[in-house]
Amino acid sequence: MSIKDEFTKGLWQTVPPFRLVLGLCPTLATTTSGLNGMGMGLATTFVLVFSNLFVSLLRRFIPNQVRIASFIVIIASFVVIVELVMQAYFYPLFKILGIFIPLIVVNCIILGRAEAFASKQNPLASLADGLGIGLGFTISLFVLGCIRELLGSGTLLDIPVMWSSFEPFAFMLKPPGAFVVLGILLAAMNLISQVQARKGGGR
Amino acid sequence: MRDIIKMIIVLTIIGAVSGLALSLVYEGTKAPIEYQTIKFVKEPAVKKVLTGYDNDPIADRKKIRIGEDERGKPIELIIFPAKKAGATFAVALEGKGKGFGGLIGVMVGVSKEGRLLDIGITSHSETPGIGSKVGETSFTEKFKGLATDREITVDGISGATYSSKGVMSAVTQALGYVNTFNKEIF
Repeated sequence: MSIKDEFTKGLWQTVPPFRLVLGLCPTLATTTSGLNGMGMGLATTFVLVFSNLFVSLLRRFIPNQVRIASFIVIIASFVVIVELVMQAYFYPLFKILGIFIPLIVVNCIILGRAEAFASKQNPLASLADGLGIGLGFTISLFVLGCIRELLGSGTLLDIPVMWSSFEPFAFMLKPPGAFVVLGILLAAMNLISQVQARKGGGR
Repeated sequence: MRDIIKMIIVLTIIGAVSGLALSLVYEGTKAPIEYQTIKFVKEPAVKKVLTGYDNDPIADRKKIRIGEDERGKPIELIIFPAKKAGATFAVALEGKGKGFGGLIGVMVGVSKEGRLLDIGITSHSETPGIGSKVGETSFTEKFKGLATDREITVDGISGATYSSKGVMSAVTQALGYVNTFNKEIF
């Protein structure tokens, strides 16, 4: 696959929460608004890109038996960097995301990409893969967050957009609401893929 | 055997490099993190109790030594000064008092003339709906204008005696600092 393909596959074919159905814990917990979802997604992308890059650079240097331990150390270091920087410059977001920032360490998307991809590929391809999957994750969380914010609090990016008599349904801000929106989006994506496949078959 | 040695060396190097990098990032973000924490946790209370200043009390904050703990480490008190044309006319500082559910933190504004300007609750774990009423304006405004050189007593909230007393003892503690360290504070 070319570098471009490595990048774009994360945006549709293997977009984490929907196609791989990975990383659901932060997906469900932090998407109470579009901006929160985007913040979580960007933090994860940062860790993913740099852990992919370093795992790939060190792939010949790390003995096979201790690779998981090494990956975890690399990933954990970048997570702490994200945590400190976020606390120093984006304190309100840091307060909202709270425990989910340190929990990026155990996000299976990141360890999964390190193990399944970066430890076998060159740095450039790994960088493209990390960026693609990370952006896919960010966009998914952003869309999910926007839908929940719109229905759950009647705002979009903190700006009220619904009509004045609109009664927000708080259910959408609770975890079950996240499951429902996730399910509907997943179904919609499958439908689009099916239609595309049928068109492709008819040609 | 050679494999084991290689594993140990590789893991050690990765761990050491990570540790070094993290300590650098920690040092670099230490000051902004302290500023942010104070800004978002204390600033609302500081803004409530001080009025009419033209400086940034958070940026102008100073620390004074009020004693030592049992291990000889200095205990520091953070003072937020309110200045007009460069002269400090009032300060805000935090006192703590024991309430019903733990310590209650109270930001206290004191003028240079020794009057209580206003108080604001910064942290508490009182019972919601009962003890938490001490945060309401109807209670905090009772402290406005009291003289700082005598004991602070106001009418407590009925049903929330412990919480009310906790706030009073927090205010008393903060005023005690002002009276003891008056020279350093103003």
